[in-house]
Amino acid sequence: MPAASVSKIPVEERLFSLVLALLATETGLTKNEVLSTVQGYRQRYRAGGDNANLERQFERDKDDIRDLGVPLETVDTPGQAGNNQNLRYRIPRGSYELPSDITFSSEETTLLNLAAMVWREGSLSGESRRAVIKLKGLGLVSDEPVLGYAPRLRVRDAAFEPLRAALERNAIVRFAYLKPGEAEARVRELAPLALVQHQGRWHLHALEPGTEITKTFLLRRIVSPVTTTGTTFPAPIGDQTARALEELDEVWASHTADVEVVTDSDAATRLLKRRGTVRLPSGALRLHYSDANIFADELAGYGPEALVLSPPALREAVRDRLLRTVEEHAAETRYPEGVTHG
Amino acid sequence: MAERPSPLRAQDKLAFLLSLVPFLMEHERISVQDAADHFGVTPQQVREAVELIAVSGIPGETGQYQHGDLFDLAWDDFEDNDQIVLTNLVAIDDAPRFSGREAAALIAGLQYLSALPENADRTAIASLMAKLARGASALPSQFAVEGSESDETLALIRDSVASGVQVEFDYINSRGEHERRRVDPLRIESMDADWYLRGWCHLREAVRTFRLDRIGNPTVTTEPITTHAADVHLPDTLFEGSEDDLLVTIDVAPSAAPLLADYLTDGAGSTVVDGRSRTALRVSHYHGLKRLVGGLPGMVTVVEPADARRAVAEWAAAGAARYDAGDDSGAGAT
Repeated sequence: MPAASVSKIPVEERLFSLVLALLATETGLTKNEVLSTVQGYRQRYRAGGDNANLERQFERDKDDIRDLGVPLETVDTPGQAGNNQNLRYRIPRGSYELPSDITFSSEETTLLNLAAMVWREGSLSGESRRAVIKLKGLGLVSDEPVLGYAPRLRVRDAAFEPLRAALERNAIVRFAYLKPGEAEARVRELAPLALVQHQGRWHLHALEPGTEITKTFLLRRIVSPVTTTGTTFPAPIGDQTARALEELDEVWASHTADVEVVTDSDAATRLLKRRGTVRLPSGALRLHYSDANIFADELAGYGPEALVLSPPALREAVRDRLLRTVEEHAAETRYPEGVTHG
Repeated sequence: MAERPSPLRAQDKLAFLLSLVPFLMEHERISVQDAADHFGVTPQQVREAVELIAVSGIPGETGQYQHGDLFDLAWDDFEDNDQIVLTNLVAIDDAPRFSGREAAALIAGLQYLSALPENADRTAIASLMAKLARGASALPSQFAVEGSESDETLALIRDSVASGVQVEFDYINSRGEHERRRVDPLRIESMDADWYLRGWCHLREAVRTFRLDRIGNPTVTTEPITTHAADVHLPDTLFEGSEDDLLVTIDVAPSAAPLLADYLTDGAGSTVVDGRSRTALRVSHYHGLKRLVGGLPGMVTVVEPADARRAVAEWAAAGAARYDAGDDSGAGAT
């Protein structure tokens, strides 16, 4: 092929050709065979020359393809186990193809399209977009357009993406965590097990390496970038998300507060509608909560509409918050004139 | 959202190619337009993908991409009639599996939507989730969203949206005032744990957003709606600024900045003062502001105008005063 057209082979053509070639081979292709014969590589392959750039390209392409859920695997050349040069690459058809007994009804397709809609930002919007493309490839048509809904889940915490990436690779992570009531953030090293959203907030469920102790961390209290330490841990067995949500639910169920609310106020309406709220004979509301500090913030926002009766610690926490807000908004501005920008 | 990086776009295109091939195998003959409509892409995107598929294949025995090793297309039909007929197939027999992450994204989305009336049949949802997990090439990634219980208000509003009739309900605005509203329900929206109704308010004669947890005594009427979604602009963002908004200067702790993202003015710069960002916030009135700032104690301070500072201070002071009014209230309850 003439050199001029070499650069014109688009990325997707090279990736598509690589998938086709590796799907078609039973025994696998060596790296050299891929680079010298597959469309998009072969044009740049130099027989007997230096192909370092091309090899790096192949490494990146493998990652991109695997990211898409294509099970690209390596096999040893028979009789040459352990020889890296002779590793063979293939995509086993059975793990590539959607099992033929998996089909989706039109109602299910409608639900799946709706489920995909909730991720409208961040990398998960890309994942759900590609999942929908794959669903469409099955020829499915949903039974009604989902016009009446615009649901959305947000992932605003900067820690989410690095934690999710670390989770998939079973990599130990390190970050600084600021516990309420503590003056300084403390650096933690943890084996991430699951990321779950509970009561609208993202939590990390993680194991302290070398122990059996699991703990749950609020992503919004992570105050440093999340880094990986370079160590990995054995993949946990079983559904970690279910366990994490269960634990959070247990905490939520065990914490209750009695709150007096002004009749017909915003606090009365909204707090009564919270999950699990019970109205006591006295008229006060018995509410469940997960985290005393976050709940105290929320209750403080209701100002005079809500009065915590118990527990005493929560009562004190809300009162302190209200007083702090008063103090910070006292008539005298705390800032010198010159600092204020228009 | 900003432009996506190019590797992602190439991955999207690859997912499209790998999904389009089995789709075309199912449909022996299909027009470019029909395929584009089905996938929700432009006809040109379909044409480009088909042209690429038609010249692709496997290196084959010779390593030379011989004719039989390539896909082929009825070119005349394609070029003259915009019809797609694949005449030779290679390598691909079936649709690809989901990736572990794709499956997890859909499963978490389904969990999140468990409050919807459509999802009332929990067994059906569980079997759908199991199918997704089984249809993935790897274990679904370990992230999940708490399911929520079905909510009567949500079910009722959903019915009225679906049947296109007006609803009436008591609504408490953030001033704490009650009003009976009559609304043409247009869209149910949500953001994490909070649900909203976007609709045409007959009282205000404008599109308004209502928090479902502020709605009381809802009734579905028999009156058809008079303003339809197509008649008005329904923006993608929940909180839309208006000309009448008040601008407030605030100092925000870094930890609270993401919580306020929806209220911050577009393009508002910020300067750093004492480790906090000084920036501008948009509010429709101070009643909303005092609740917002009061709920982020120690994290947000209103700098100016003085009226706004006073509204916040008075609200919090009234709250604090209740704790000092008589310390007997706490003892009696438990």
